[in-house]
Amino acid sequence: MLKIKWFRGQWLHITFARVALYVVMIVMVCFTALPLVYLISTAFKPLDELFLYPPRFFVQNPTTKNFSDLVVSLGSSTVPFTRYAFNSLVNTITIVICTVIVSSMGAYSLVKLKPPGGVFLFNLILVALMFSPHVTKIPSYMVVNGLGLINTYGALILPNIAVAYNIFLIKQFMEQYPTELLEAARIDGAGEFRIFIQMVMPALKPATATLTVFSFVNNWNDYFSPLIYVTSQAMKTLPLALQTIGGGAAGMSVGRAGAVAAATFLMTAPTVIIFVIKQGQVMETMTYSGIKG
Amino acid sequence: MAEKKLTAEKKQVAEKKPVQAKKKKMSLHTKNSLKGLVFVSPFILGMLLFFIYPIILSIRLAFGSKVLLVGFQISGFTLDNFTRAISIDVEFLPIFAESVRNTLVQFPLIIVLSLIIAVLLNRDIKCRGLFRVIFFIPFLLGTGNVMQQLLNQGVDRAVLNIMDGKLIPYNVLSYFGTTIVDVVQTVLSVLVTVLWGCGVQILLFLSGLQSISGSLYEAARIDGATEWEIFWKVTVPMIAPMILLNMVYTVVDSLASITNPLLEYMKQKGYTEAQYAYGSAMGWMYFAFIGLLVAIIFVVMKGFIHTSEVEEVKKREHKHKVFTIERAPRRTFD
Repeated sequence: MLKIKWFRGQWLHITFARVALYVVMIVMVCFTALPLVYLISTAFKPLDELFLYPPRFFVQNPTTKNFSDLVVSLGSSTVPFTRYAFNSLVNTITIVICTVIVSSMGAYSLVKLKPPGGVFLFNLILVALMFSPHVTKIPSYMVVNGLGLINTYGALILPNIAVAYNIFLIKQFMEQYPTELLEAARIDGAGEFRIFIQMVMPALKPATATLTVFSFVNNWNDYFSPLIYVTSQAMKTLPLALQTIGGGAAGMSVGRAGAVAAATFLMTAPTVIIFVIKQGQVMETMTYSGIKG
Repeated sequence: MAEKKLTAEKKQVAEKKPVQAKKKKMSLHTKNSLKGLVFVSPFILGMLLFFIYPIILSIRLAFGSKVLLVGFQISGFTLDNFTRAISIDVEFLPIFAESVRNTLVQFPLIIVLSLIIAVLLNRDIKCRGLFRVIFFIPFLLGTGNVMQQLLNQGVDRAVLNIMDGKLIPYNVLSYFGTTIVDVVQTVLSVLVTVLWGCGVQILLFLSGLQSISGSLYEAARIDGATEWEIFWKVTVPMIAPMILLNMVYTVVDSLASITNPLLEYMKQKGYTEAQYAYGSAMGWMYFAFIGLLVAIIFVVMKGFIHTSEVEEVKKREHKHKVFTIERAPRRTFD
């Protein structure tokens, strides 16, 4: 064991276990962080470096030409890149807000109020968890079509609000919330809705933050539902647009490779930002310590 | 929108209440369950519209013998689609086996590795936030499209290429024989794919670990438990519910992700070639398999969760009811 004087008069204890811990962490981080590093460096690579084989990891002569390429390649079409970004943002933010409200209300009711048929509903949620969305996509299309929602924001938003996984996640957290607190509030004369808004929601912040991140990422990257529900160019979202720029799923068109790299980079940025903002909250401990004192 | 609807319904309930109170006083129980229904109604509505109804349609599609797509009319009943998948289609079963094998190889690795990483991250190390963000990045990149682009560009090969020269001393390893080199290479390439797949699991484990009260660890230390014993006898039983959640998530996520070969095949048959009925029949068989797998996990894990004493003690302490020593009847998933 080694002792080193650290700044501000603190002692830094270096033990073998601690060093080993850091080494293991750093090796794993190396593996995990590489795709992002690659993504960023690719976005700034000039054309000749993009097609180098074996691919080089770091960019040698960084340019911003890819980004201007992206603007130009999309400028010729009738819909500007910003429109796709706007569509994606509107859809994703609306879905996230609605799903957080709906799921936490549902979970609160299922766990604490125990409505008739609650057990059945929960079993249904468990079944829905295992369902691949692909199986029901065509019938869902029929529903959306019947509601007259094709080519509207509604088609992209409504089917993604009541998602089984979201309510399952909140429910896991809700079970830790002490019922005694609710009873105390009821005795003090608080209405059910007020209890939900003023007591349950603040305590559920870590859970809702987690849900926000999950739901945001999933819907931001969702490629399947716009593909099915949307036909007009003006309503398409970023993942779909990205596919169009790249020239289809099978292969990339050579000339647009730079633009695709830039667009991929731009598309990833919001998800990373939202996670960095929310990650502190996600990690907060639950306040079931309300009773622990 | 949901809120508006809710307040409206709430008002209705409030208006009804005095009338009913005159006739017969509502018992507390019915009142509470009514309130519960109000809260859960937006979710039920969404499920009915976009899950249950489509599922019923999809069953009818899979069993229907005559499908008219123009008016979406289905009639008749056959098992043709199912027999076709099993006995006629030569591609279905091999692809199915491949999907399942991929999942079964990765599943234990993901669970164990993410648990280890979460436990390490839960210790007080410097730059914890940074580590967390980095482990979560592959999930942020998206399981589908962006990742696909990256793989197209050969990022996994690039990673291994980098590793080839610098990080791993192959010159030294080759003294031990070629099998060692092979093993190291396979382990590394599996490690990369597994590490990219466990962002969510790490996050869920972490939130489970953080909710274990410190007093339990303290008590264990006072009783003279080693770190190893504490891990197996305190940490693991306490996060057993999270392990269950993670197992279900991992199985479903890897079997139902877009990059799964079987789903690619189903998509190709169902959408590109417009054989909706055949596509949904394959989907149902696949779903039945996933359901079976998850049911097995539930049964196995259920015994594990309930026999743990620490959990029981914690529950008792948690609920402040000393008299619940005889076990109360449980609901399906508690």
